[in-house]
Amino acid sequence: MTDLQLWLSAVEMGCFFGMLALAYYLIHVGAGFFNFAIGPYAMMGGLCTSWLVITYDLGVWPAAATAVAVTIGLAALTELGVVRPVQKRSGGGELPALVAVAAVLFAIQQLAGYVFGYPTLPGQSLATFDPVTVGEVTVQPSSLLMIGVALLSFALSAVWIRSTRTGRLLRAVGDSNRAAALLGLPVNRIRLIAFVLAGFVAALAGILFAPKAGVNSLSGLAWSLSGFLAVVVGGTGSVWAPLFGGMLLGLVEVFLPYYFGGQAHVYGMLFIALLFFAFKPQGLFVRTVRA
Amino acid sequence: MTTQTSQPAAVAAGRDIRRVPGIGGLALGCAAAVLILLWVGSDGYKQTLVTSAATYALIALGMYVPYLMAGSLSMAYSAYAGIGGYAVGLVSAKTGLPLAVAWLVGPIVAALLAVLLGLVTRRLSGFFLAAVTLLFGMAFTAFLIDAEALSGGSGGLGNLRPLNLFGWTPSHYQMVLGSAVVVCVIAFLLDRLRLSPWGVIVRTMRDAPRAVEAAGVRVPVLNLVALALGAAIAAVGGGLFTYSAGSITPDTFTLNIVFLAIFMPLIGGAGTPWGAVAGAVIAVELTLNFPAIETSGTLLLALGVLVIMLVAPRGVVGYADKLRTRGWALLRKEPDRG
Repeated sequence: MTDLQLWLSAVEMGCFFGMLALAYYLIHVGAGFFNFAIGPYAMMGGLCTSWLVITYDLGVWPAAATAVAVTIGLAALTELGVVRPVQKRSGGGELPALVAVAAVLFAIQQLAGYVFGYPTLPGQSLATFDPVTVGEVTVQPSSLLMIGVALLSFALSAVWIRSTRTGRLLRAVGDSNRAAALLGLPVNRIRLIAFVLAGFVAALAGILFAPKAGVNSLSGLAWSLSGFLAVVVGGTGSVWAPLFGGMLLGLVEVFLPYYFGGQAHVYGMLFIALLFFAFKPQGLFVRTVRA
Repeated sequence: MTTQTSQPAAVAAGRDIRRVPGIGGLALGCAAAVLILLWVGSDGYKQTLVTSAATYALIALGMYVPYLMAGSLSMAYSAYAGIGGYAVGLVSAKTGLPLAVAWLVGPIVAALLAVLLGLVTRRLSGFFLAAVTLLFGMAFTAFLIDAEALSGGSGGLGNLRPLNLFGWTPSHYQMVLGSAVVVCVIAFLLDRLRLSPWGVIVRTMRDAPRAVEAAGVRVPVLNLVALALGAAIAAVGGGLFTYSAGSITPDTFTLNIVFLAIFMPLIGGAGTPWGAVAGAVIAVELTLNFPAIETSGTLLLALGVLVIMLVAPRGVVGYADKLRTRGWALLRKEPDRG
């Protein structure tokens, strides 16, 4: 594990998983459940950008902006059109929400396949400067952007959740929907903000990660699982915890196939999931509450 | 979404015909199966459709016990169906045993694996269980590709021997007929199981696990039995499909099928196993036999599921049941109680 280029790759992967996990985290803090459609949101961001650039010769920036807008729309639609009515009817049971989210995941995949086609499209790089060489490591502009944007979005989220009024409202609503509603807090608006922000972060992650391996309409499911695993491994105790979980998974995703062959990371992911879900389902970083 | 809507139907039919619970569903299911088989005739393509529908139905029926009765969403069913399929392939390719043995070995191995996975994940529920079982399905596909000596790698296993039951080799049409019968029998048995004391305990466990545990029932054991039963049923379906298709690869049973199998009971109606069967028929009709908008059949299905979930949470069977009750009420000129 001395190859620095691999470490860079792992960090980049970790930043991607971390951003997906951040999207999970935002919705989990605000709405108290895991939105499995995060992966498809990211896929939508990446695939829509590539498709607009390739099919309509649109510039990368307008294409990315359109894709982000579409994804945010989908995220808002998920909350307004599916999750909210289903949760209202089922009265907080976990299974109906889970099935609803699975249906959303599947529907977005099929929608993307129908509109953008099923083949894998190459990702579009937002940055166009030359690769930077640091010592023995060559840093691609897309990697630099991925890492930079990930750190920035974590920093902004941390500041937002800790210091702004909306951020505090988000935590209050997430801690107890009913108590927040009794206090007259705008529960529905705050939940919607959480979904929109998560959609934004996920779309950004998808666009930035797409240049690494391309993107197709079925990428979303694996990304959903990686992001979920990252947020479970990291825990929900701190805003930065998902980034830590993402980094751990990034190491697994890069180094296991390097040492044990092509499919090893799939087994590794399953192993980590079983390990953490069985022994530390609350994650590594837990918010300690004084009794 | 999971209220029992067709129980009155089964009871009412039982009172009219015979006092057998679930006989009404069986009669309707058999009638539908006969109609479908008549429609199929000797058309090879339509026969393939029926086999696919039967496979989907069996996977959905396999998920019925743990998912709709016990309320835990395990998504490893692509692996269980795959085991059933690979049992057929392996018995044919690596042993001299009669092929029918595969339908004994496959379900047993799938059930054992389900128990193992159930033991490892016994403390998980909801999102965590779904995530682990999805990862398990992915890892199983990876294993099938890696273990070339056993599973034939990504090329899979082909050239299956024909089935030989005591000297009688069923034709393709007879296999189609047979799979329809298997679906009807298993749906009927599951319907009986749902109404039996055991089924009532399992369904209570879904809603109030602590009460069931306090009453002296071992909830974890009950969960494992439900999972094993479901896995075995899905493996039967996998075996049937593999035999009709003549080969199996790691891509035969994908996670897509698992998602479809979750939605089938929602489309058909979660109140009775027959809802899962109806959902499977609709799913196959939309995804495979929809020439006008071939590529978007699955999209239509996905959107349809969302609409059904929001508008008619009891599915097609529940909706038909409501119409029937209304119809009877009109005929008898009684006030509508549906």
